[in-house]
Amino acid sequence: MFPVRCFTCGAVIAHKWEEYSKKLEEGKTPKEALDELGITRHCCRRMFLTYKSVVEEFARFHGAVG
Amino acid sequence: MKLEFVEDGELRASFILRNASAAFANSVRRAMKSLVPTMAVDYVDIYLNTSCLYDEVLAHRIGLIPLITKLDKFNMPEECSCGGEGCPNCQVSLRLNVEGPKLVYSGDFVSDDPETVPVYGNIPVVKLYKGQQLMIEAVARLGTGKEHAKYQPVSVCAYKIIPNIQVSSECSGCEECVKACPRSVLEFKDGEVKVKDVLACSMCMECVNVCSEGTIKVEETNDYLFTVESIGSMPVKNIIQKALEILIDKAKGMNETLAVLGEES
Repeated sequence: MFPVRCFTCGAVIAHKWEEYSKKLEEGKTPKEALDELGITRHCCRRMFLTYKSVVEEFARFHGAVG
Repeated sequence: MKLEFVEDGELRASFILRNASAAFANSVRRAMKSLVPTMAVDYVDIYLNTSCLYDEVLAHRIGLIPLITKLDKFNMPEECSCGGEGCPNCQVSLRLNVEGPKLVYSGDFVSDDPETVPVYGNIPVVKLYKGQQLMIEAVARLGTGKEHAKYQPVSVCAYKIIPNIQVSSECSGCEECVKACPRSVLEFKDGEVKVKDVLACSMCMECVNVCSEGTIKVEETNDYLFTVESIGSMPVKNIIQKALEILIDKAKGMNETLAVLGEES
């Protein structure tokens, strides 16, 4: 799941996640999307750029063992 | 000492603190960061959790969700009349009862107190797949940033010295300092070097180092530029006010202690 807050500065970022992914689907580059959302610090920007969801993979095997 | 607001928003503000000591500026910063109380979920009762996340990971995520804080409405648990046991005057419980398939948002929590709700309703908490269930009671209380970072009312809270940049009349106008400045603080106008934007200066001293004549001077002053960004639980102005009130209380306490010590000796 997407982190609720930026690891470095502690600003809340998760409320912008949906808007960000919508902007990417529209074909915008991550730079444009982040600039439009007003995420200026590079600590917060890397949270969006480097995030990879693994919940779906977890869910596939959830309950398979035990 | 004087406060001047440069930028004044609900979530982000910057102000100039004039004529203060570095110790005072730092104590204001520290008070805002670690002494102003904020509401956050601290205790989570998990009755049922068949989601992909472990209980403790879930509890941690819930704890980080900022809640709207009405400071006059609640007591600090240790100062409350209930003695820290937990009563409506010092805590609020938020309930969550959902079944998948569903993406659970912070806005899905049902709060006992309509005023103490998540600041943002669209923070994803956990994704539930078919058949997965959550039954949670999260208990929020007041706390300070000293205790845990989730109780900090601010994210960015920093200050820097506003320098005094002086260019003497012996300047030949070679423009080297204007080119060297990484933040374009200086400009060359009407045959002389002028200061365009002092607030942007980070005192890197590039201009001083590059100047072969030694005509530019960057001096420290007693003015500080603060930048404060709120998490959303309360407006920045309230945070500043509360921090200053706490500092006054602390100074009063210090004076009382000193008076007692003076009587004894």
